[in-house]
Amino acid sequence: MRCRSMAVAIALFAAALATAGCGLGPGEDVGEVSLTVTRDYGAEPVLAPLADEVSESDTVMRVLERDAEIATRYGGGFVQSIDGLEADERFGRSFDWFFYVDGVESTVGAADYPLHGGEAIWWDYRDWSAAMRVPAVVGSWPEPFLHGYDGRRRSVAVECLGGGAACGAVRGTLARAGADVEPESGVDAVSNSAQGAIRVLVGPWAQLRRDSAAAQIENGPQASGVFADFEGNGAGARLVGLGVDGKPALTFGPGAGLVAATRRYDAPPTWLVTGVDQAGVEAAAGLLDRADLRDRYAVATEGGEETPLPVR
Amino acid sequence: MRSAFAYTPRRGALQAASPGAAVVYLGALVAVAFLYSTPLVLIAVGAAGTLAGYLAGAGRAVRAALWLGLAIALPIVVVNALVVDRGATVLARLGEWPLFGQVNVTAEAIADGAVFGLRAVVVMIAFGVYSACVDPDRVLRALRPIAGRSALTATLVSRLVPVTAADAGRLRDAGRLRGPAAAPLGRAALLRRLLAGSLDRAVDAAATLELRGYSLEPPRPRQLVERFSPPRWGKSFNGASRFDGRFYAAGGIVLVSAVVAKSLGADGFDAYPTIELGIEPATLALSALIVLAGLAPWRRHA
Repeated sequence: MRCRSMAVAIALFAAALATAGCGLGPGEDVGEVSLTVTRDYGAEPVLAPLADEVSESDTVMRVLERDAEIATRYGGGFVQSIDGLEADERFGRSFDWFFYVDGVESTVGAADYPLHGGEAIWWDYRDWSAAMRVPAVVGSWPEPFLHGYDGRRRSVAVECLGGGAACGAVRGTLARAGADVEPESGVDAVSNSAQGAIRVLVGPWAQLRRDSAAAQIENGPQASGVFADFEGNGAGARLVGLGVDGKPALTFGPGAGLVAATRRYDAPPTWLVTGVDQAGVEAAAGLLDRADLRDRYAVATEGGEETPLPVR
Repeated sequence: MRSAFAYTPRRGALQAASPGAAVVYLGALVAVAFLYSTPLVLIAVGAAGTLAGYLAGAGRAVRAALWLGLAIALPIVVVNALVVDRGATVLARLGEWPLFGQVNVTAEAIADGAVFGLRAVVVMIAFGVYSACVDPDRVLRALRPIAGRSALTATLVSRLVPVTAADAGRLRDAGRLRGPAAAPLGRAALLRRLLAGSLDRAVDAAATLELRGYSLEPPRPRQLVERFSPPRWGKSFNGASRFDGRFYAAGGIVLVSAVVAKSLGADGFDAYPTIELGIEPATLALSALIVLAGLAPWRRHA
């Protein structure tokens, strides 16, 4: 009798474990992820971009371990080197490996970041002396608009702040990329974006700077993670591209545009499609494609020529 | 019954050695256990401790330490496997658990926990040998010139804790002897009585210490050595033993070799992201040296 009770208890426990998604081994495949490994703010590839099937127990770290030679520290939670390129301090500057999933910097370590399939993982080795935190980047386009981030798909709220025709262009581009774009709420008006929607601000910098997330750019890359700044007003406005050290490196004149991403606290990422003037905004709107944004933290444009930021 | 870890005077080299020599010798083994994660070196340290313990006649303490160490090691392995979700080789998925979140058991987390557990076992063996072979009174006496008050406190604790435990046993026996009809003796009542007795004893001890001049300045170290270290077997007049040299040498050689070997890459174990166990010639040489160091307490005429 006692044996039978024990057997029933074990069977119930096993059934409960099976129902809770338990099992032996790494589990079933849940989809494919892309892996990009670069150095120096995406300037040089370290590994050829690849796609990898992931299973239900996979994390960012496990995928990286499968596809590259890595060394870890602090109990396997911190990537020390990828393919021999090691975290280091040189000439008083600190170099480390950082990762983005769907263009958003993670708040947890790679070993604790679960994957659900469809994510774009980007590891970059960079000098972080000027900005330790770069909360969002544009280089995983069309992510995070396609799959969202943190394992949840998000809607996209395009906020037209004097962007004019560029707003429509941005909406069209996002819709074609497969994003769930929220309905337009009126010209030159802030849309009633859903809670947790990814915002895309479109308009000249003089308008965008009133937004608290966008205004972080004026506090430097250590606050916004964007290596760009704006100087002057009106016809004399200039876009300044900053170098890796956070200092002005290149000045862009009239017609200059910027595509960048930032994030304020835990709010969803905010993309900025802006420029020193209307022509700049339209030029920036034209950059929203894989060819122009791939593996870049932010991009400036002037006269049809794109410059990755930070300026190297 | 005496605890397996209680000091038992024996005519062994480790027992005769001065506390400093014994501490350096066993401390070097413990230091190596904390310095290295390679299982081979940890096993060598455990073997050295076991060998030293058996040669010093403390086999019972070694066995008790081994069991105690295993009792500590097993939960470490289990908890590490459940809490740490790192490592590339997922063996089992246990779903979402309250507090733990998603639990995946990986081979790497088990190996990492096993190394922690092995370290706990090895350190327990070294402490077991120390406890059974090194006279605590001599250790405290050696400490007295350096930290008089701490030594006095430690002496009182090491005396009064066993006395209090014996008191508790006596009170429990007395409670049982009241007969089956008597109400059971509650823990609160027992603790109250023990506390009262301890306070009485503490006042007596304080008065005795006062009468013996413990509130005065401590005598100089040389006077202390002369007063408290009468010549005994295997010891010279100044408290040193003829065995001290070998224990200092063994401890020193083990420690220096461990540091040198570590710089040569002898600690080739990594649990994450995949288990890597590199056994270099330096690892093998160091392990052999450590096991040999376990022979230090050996005496031709026991």
